[in-house]
Amino acid sequence: MKNPATLPGRVLWNAFFWTYERATWQYDVMVIAILAFVWLTPPDWLNDPMAHGRGPIGWLLDHLR
Amino acid sequence: MTFTGFIGRICMFPLRAIIAACVALRIHPNILTFVGVLINGIAAYELAHGRFVRAGFIMIVANIFDFIDGKVAVELGEVSKFGGFWDSVIDRFSDIVLFIGLIYLYAQMGRTDYVMVASFAMMFALMTSYTRARAESLIAKCKVGFMERPERIVLFMIGAFTNRMAAVLWVILVLSVFTVADRVIHTYRELRGAQREVVA
Repeated sequence: MKNPATLPGRVLWNAFFWTYERATWQYDVMVIAILAFVWLTPPDWLNDPMAHGRGPIGWLLDHLR
Repeated sequence: MTFTGFIGRICMFPLRAIIAACVALRIHPNILTFVGVLINGIAAYELAHGRFVRAGFIMIVANIFDFIDGKVAVELGEVSKFGGFWDSVIDRFSDIVLFIGLIYLYAQMGRTDYVMVASFAMMFALMTSYTRARAESLIAKCKVGFMERPERIVLFMIGAFTNRMAAVLWVILVLSVFTVADRVIHTYRELRGAQREVVA
């Protein structure tokens, strides 16, 4: 299998078919992306059984309206 | 220095003191490994009852034991093949017990959807370990894929402390699926390459 030719394709490919070590800048970027998903995604969007509300994204959308 | 490397260095300060204390007390590393799984069992109990923050603190303690056992073994000159095997086996129990805690919680709440998410996440978390172990009986190294045990543990703690366990389970599930796929593909490529060399 070959890596995709386009840049976004390559980024996604390298993110999912991961070969980087810990404590590299690629690892940092992945960690930040995961933390952003965990903390910013509104619990209601995921039907979280233990947490409720619209989270920071919902708050932001409310203030932008 | 990277951001994650910096956090790792900060965490090493207290851990060094704990390792030194265990070495001074000559605590056998296999006992530390076993204590770790027992404490993880208590964390699972707390998760099962929806007490996430308390579970988070208990997981920190459990995983200190889990982390230092190898280092204590080196310091005490007690490194052995059985120790490595024991550590791997006990780690799987630690993994499973935390997922079971969450499965129990969601089942009690009547949330079949998250019972399934947690079950699939558990299945793929176990398969990441199995695929690597099995691959390394055939090829030299199969250290590919992002979602390994340390990442899972840190994610569990983040989910527990910030009450974002649903998001954490989705991350563990999706990235574990890719890690398993990554390992299967990597092993296939390596074995095919080796076969070609033999034919040539």
